[in-house]
Amino acid sequence: MTRLLRSTSVRLALGYAFLFILSSALLGGFLWWRTTGYLDRAVEDVIVADTRAIGDRLRDFGLAGAVEVVNARVRRVGDERAIYLLTDPRKNPVTGNLAAWPTDVADRPGWYQASLVRDGTRRLTRILYVQLPNNFRLLVGRDVEDREALRELVVNALAWAAAAAIGLAILGGFLVRRAALARIEVINRTASEIVTGDLARRLPTHRAPGDEFDQLAVIINGMLDQIQQLVEGLQSTSHAIAHDLRTPLAELRGRLESLLRRRPHSEAAFEEVQDAVADVDRVIEIFNALLRLAEIDSGLRRSGFSRVDIRTVAEEAAELYRPIIEERGASLALEAPESLGLEGDPFLIAQAIGNLLDNAAKVAPPESAVTLSVSRRDTQIEIAVSDRGPGIPDEEKPRVTERFFRGDAARNTVGSGLGLSLVAAVARLHGGSLVLEDNDPGLRARLLLPAA
Amino acid sequence: MKILLVEDNERVAEFVAKGLKESGHVLDHAANGRDGLFLASSENYDAIILDRMLPGGIDGLGIIEALRKTGNRTPILILSALAEVDDRIRGLKAGGDDYLTKPFAFGELAARLDALLRRSQRVEAETVLAVGDLRMDLLARHVTRAGKAIDLQPREFKLLEFLMRYADQAVTRTMLLENVWDYHFDPQTNVIDAHISKLRQKIDAPFERPLLHTLRGVGYKLSAAQA
Repeated sequence: MTRLLRSTSVRLALGYAFLFILSSALLGGFLWWRTTGYLDRAVEDVIVADTRAIGDRLRDFGLAGAVEVVNARVRRVGDERAIYLLTDPRKNPVTGNLAAWPTDVADRPGWYQASLVRDGTRRLTRILYVQLPNNFRLLVGRDVEDREALRELVVNALAWAAAAAIGLAILGGFLVRRAALARIEVINRTASEIVTGDLARRLPTHRAPGDEFDQLAVIINGMLDQIQQLVEGLQSTSHAIAHDLRTPLAELRGRLESLLRRRPHSEAAFEEVQDAVADVDRVIEIFNALLRLAEIDSGLRRSGFSRVDIRTVAEEAAELYRPIIEERGASLALEAPESLGLEGDPFLIAQAIGNLLDNAAKVAPPESAVTLSVSRRDTQIEIAVSDRGPGIPDEEKPRVTERFFRGDAARNTVGSGLGLSLVAAVARLHGGSLVLEDNDPGLRARLLLPAA
Repeated sequence: MKILLVEDNERVAEFVAKGLKESGHVLDHAANGRDGLFLASSENYDAIILDRMLPGGIDGLGIIEALRKTGNRTPILILSALAEVDDRIRGLKAGGDDYLTKPFAFGELAARLDALLRRSQRVEAETVLAVGDLRMDLLARHVTRAGKAIDLQPREFKLLEFLMRYADQAVTRTMLLENVWDYHFDPQTNVIDAHISKLRQKIDAPFERPLLHTLRGVGYKLSAAQA
């Protein structure tokens, strides 16, 4: 539900529906006020004027004057819906067209709504009860049965209108949402196709000036053109480097190897050449690692993503690296209780885990345990390698994933200084991250990748 | 064996040719794609070593596709300066049998070529492999040496099977990584050496004559002959 509310199109639709209902309610309220509310106020004004007139008569001419006015009012033709009752302090009728004090009217002066039987029918009547001088009591009322019928009519009409408004609001919201979604959906689909490696895709645009979505599409397409140029430039550069550098390296290595096969006469020369071959091999190794990093960072590897079971990958990596860890007298524990799936490149994830295990193997003290664990952390899958080696000081942690950076502790071990860079690049490619923590003592490297 | 080398770089071609001749192979060399395709389709070779990027109108992949289309099944080893995984997969999909990235060690090339030649000569499916007094029953998944049962983990079994299939020839570490572990990248350390030494503990240590030999700078060889 919260996820649904986070969608802009849903919020847009709900906002639309809310505004529509709000304006309908305002309109309905106004109509109500102008019809039944107006009638109410008119009736009450008449009643109040009547009671004032009768009260004035009583004050000026005494009881007889009041009785005369009431009788005159009752007799008035065409005003059969008017109710008058003047009583003495003990509620005994003095004059008026009501036989007795109505049960619906209490002892306190004020407005009452009473149901009175007159001419054999029960009529709803609005009554004002006022206290006159000398404790005389006066009731003045008007039949409001007709107004009640009108009120019902208006309420019904408004209820129907409200229902229709809500229905229209929902439909309108849905249409607004669909119209916006359709445009956004195109952008989404194209963007994800591009992310998976199809750099040639573009958003559709209309030739005319177009709306805001069109303008957005034009801007995004411009950005895509630039990205495509950059990636293609990177690719052709790395292909050129690959070809232009690999060939002379192959020649160099070949010459040195032929020298070895010819067996130089002095043993010292033979060893020199052998060391030179080893040097060339290190250059080749670093060169390959750099090209691989460039390949990963270009994002093109995403086109090879498939469903990967991380437990299987971890099991195989553990199996491959266990012997070199055991050769140091340390042990490797694998904690992978369940199979966990994600969309990714199985070879790259295997290499990333391999690099982490390789680092651990280089620093693990004898008798210590290296742990490889795979677990689920909310929406992510965590692959963690922990060792009991010297760890990485806090000030070096942010730098160890930089290319060629080698910490003080690693200065004397074998390696290119690209191992953790590759792990970080693999994490980035998958939309995840690499977190390095203290294992107290040792290092805990956590590779976090989004779960499928 | 008769080998065709299609490679435009003169020095690399020279160095490969020299090495292969020293190993006793007969070699033809073509320096461009057109000549390469002509030789490959007109002569009978035991294997072809083919550079991927070639002048002469047709590149390595084009030659492979053309040969395979006409039913030519000669084993092909692709050499390439392109190391990306996709390139490798494309090369193998086109019909290549193995893929080696430049720069390479000659030992690696020779070992892979020998493996290709060995594979193409194998006729029927074997069920029992034997090297000296070491025997492997592939159906019962059972290994004995001098009649004594040897208990192997599944991966050790696979490793030994590969070494036995290519007995008496050099097998490199990357060949083992690719074929036994299906890993197509260079682990930074020699993880393979540790696996080999564990295997040695089981198949060689209790016996007088070692079968599993280390070839310096190349890899390993399983052989009953005295090294």
